[in-house]
Amino acid sequence: MIALTTPYLWYTTRATGIVALILFTMVVSLGTLVANRIGGTIVGRFEINELHRSLSMVALTFLAIHILTTVMDSYVPTGLISAFVPMTSDFKRVGVAIGAVAFDLILAVWISSLLKLRIANTSWRFIHWFSWLGFTTALVHAYMTGTDSRTGIGLVLVATCGAVVAAAALWRFFGRPTRAAGRTALSPLATSKDPVRATSDAPRPFPVSQRPTRERGRR
Amino acid sequence: MGVRRRSGAFILQVNPILCDGFGHCAELAPELVKTDEWGYPILKSDPVPLADAGTYESARYAERGCPRQALHIHRISEKKPH
Amino acid sequence: MIDPHSLPRLMHATSERPLTLAQHETAFASTSPVTSLLEELEASGLTGRGGAGFPTGRKARLLREQRGHNKFMVVNAMEGEPASHKDQTLLSANPHLVLDGAEYLASIIGANNIAVCVARDNPSVVNHMTRALHERTRRSLRGPKLELHTPPWRYVAGEESALVHWLDDNESLPQYRPNRPHILKIGHGPALVDNAETCANVGLIGRFGAQWYRSLGTADNPGSTLVSVTGAVGHPTVVEVELGTPLRAILDTAGADPDPQAVLLGGYGGSWLSASHLDAPYDNEALKPFGVSTGAGVIVVLPKNACGIVETQRVVRWMANESARQCGPCAFGLPALAEDLTHIAHPSRDPQGARQRLIERCAVIEGRGACRHPDGVIRFVRSALDVFAADFTEHVHGSVCNGSRSTKHFASVPSLEREEELVWE
Repeated sequence: MIALTTPYLWYTTRATGIVALILFTMVVSLGTLVANRIGGTIVGRFEINELHRSLSMVALTFLAIHILTTVMDSYVPTGLISAFVPMTSDFKRVGVAIGAVAFDLILAVWISSLLKLRIANTSWRFIHWFSWLGFTTALVHAYMTGTDSRTGIGLVLVATCGAVVAAAALWRFFGRPTRAAGRTALSPLATSKDPVRATSDAPRPFPVSQRPTRERGRR
Repeated sequence: MGVRRRSGAFILQVNPILCDGFGHCAELAPELVKTDEWGYPILKSDPVPLADAGTYESARYAERGCPRQALHIHRISEKKPH
Repeated sequence: MIDPHSLPRLMHATSERPLTLAQHETAFASTSPVTSLLEELEASGLTGRGGAGFPTGRKARLLREQRGHNKFMVVNAMEGEPASHKDQTLLSANPHLVLDGAEYLASIIGANNIAVCVARDNPSVVNHMTRALHERTRRSLRGPKLELHTPPWRYVAGEESALVHWLDDNESLPQYRPNRPHILKIGHGPALVDNAETCANVGLIGRFGAQWYRSLGTADNPGSTLVSVTGAVGHPTVVEVELGTPLRAILDTAGADPDPQAVLLGGYGGSWLSASHLDAPYDNEALKPFGVSTGAGVIVVLPKNACGIVETQRVVRWMANESARQCGPCAFGLPALAEDLTHIAHPSRDPQGARQRLIERCAVIEGRGACRHPDGVIRFVRSALDVFAADFTEHVHGSVCNGSRSTKHFASVPSLEREEELVWE
């Protein structure tokens, strides 16, 4: 690994870190738009989905540069291992550790999405939920480790990203799209209003009172 | 790049349990998928010849683009009756 | 040997208390045991008594050909149809005949497990089966392992794939089976699922042979069957009838209203039949031209003073709530059908539009679920549109019949668990 001491590596780390944070905010917001079935009239739903996927690749690129420049910069002693394993950095141990946790989670989400067609959809969805945790951890890392994030515009940026994702989370988990959200512009009754609302995930399973309890079963 | 004439046909099938009515398939392959009033797909039941490359490409986009991976292209060979 | 030309067969020698193993062996003693079970079963022409009417021998042969050393024979006594009591009655009268059949089928396919499934909501039947299984296990420890399973009672819990899913993974949810024939599996073992009455018939064939079995019934639909008669009857009855008996005779034996408006055949996923066709024989071949089938052996009698549309609406409302809610067209479509029927049964706003929507929605929902639950409801609704066409016209034009104001109902449905389940929140 080349060890350099120019300040430009340090500037690159900071800049790409900020850009990656902004991009991941957009990715999570787009993911929420997909899950809540937005689109179908002006913008296609599949387009929002594709944008979510493409933008995540851009964000990952910036994240990769952010990590590499940190490792290459010998002014702060962090080896490549610190990007993956928490608490192995001598510089800002806790902050970088949280960054490593965030990176691990994002890596898991990314790899599962690469293998999406090969693994079961339920497994993919389970891992994908961790993207919320990945973002939150990245945000904490940005606040703790970021040189610019404690004051001025850096703080405003981190706070805004946090607020946007928090709003998205509230909308995702508590706000429910109406049944009309199921229809796209192409369905025959796309314009009629229906007062009955539906959940965004699969219709509710069997009533809980009748849900069978684990009995003497096969396993 | 030559165009190889493929024989046989295909239909798009959906696993109705996995499907959650996102509707991406209707946007990506409108010639094969219509939606009902609740947003769930109504698939064309007649087989489409594989030689119809445009429709086949739409079907592949729809299969890949489904958020729940509920769609599946089912090949029908000419020899066996469907 | 039981006289081949007389009834009862399945209910032979039964009384108030269930037959013990010894009593059963005496009553059903056979002097000429059957040697090649599968051939006899195929020759008998027995078809399933659970509703689908698939040839039992063909199904058994298919499972026999599957590879797998841990095969299951599943006895389906869930009886999801609320209007059906025949399986409960059979298990309370002679569980051993059912278990005989299960053991024969298990030996045909090479299964070393027999799973008897009874709804847990019926404690007396559960007790009878537990005792019967104990008797058999005490008699001989060799042979397939007998187990009793008690899933919670739901309409779809008796569906084949839902039952297997319960045994495999503790959830009574139907499975998606795109390629027929699809072999259901419990763990790695292929499973043969047969209705309890079907197993009882197999028990008879195994003891007395195909020729004996075919002495009753018609050429295409041989043997006898149990029928649950409810609705306008003195009390809900289960009768054993020879296949091919005219419907009118069955109603007479059960003590039902001799001059009904219509009858519902098959179950709540079956079809209405106008009273003008009551001379038709009760077997699938003869009923096909009328678009009905014997289904799960259910007859609901609708008297002249009742409203067919109100009865249909109540049933569809309950059936919509019984959806497993896995597939969109069923989860949303069936409540929509119920809503349209409500607007027609108790006309308040635009019943004409409701009838139009009803017909359109039936066409849209059909065939798009993982299981056949929505298809059954659609069949039921279409038969109502056909048989009660005059009533529909009356309701749509605003004149409501006397029957719709009555509080007495003939197609009994269990009360909806929680009303708001039907409205999607």
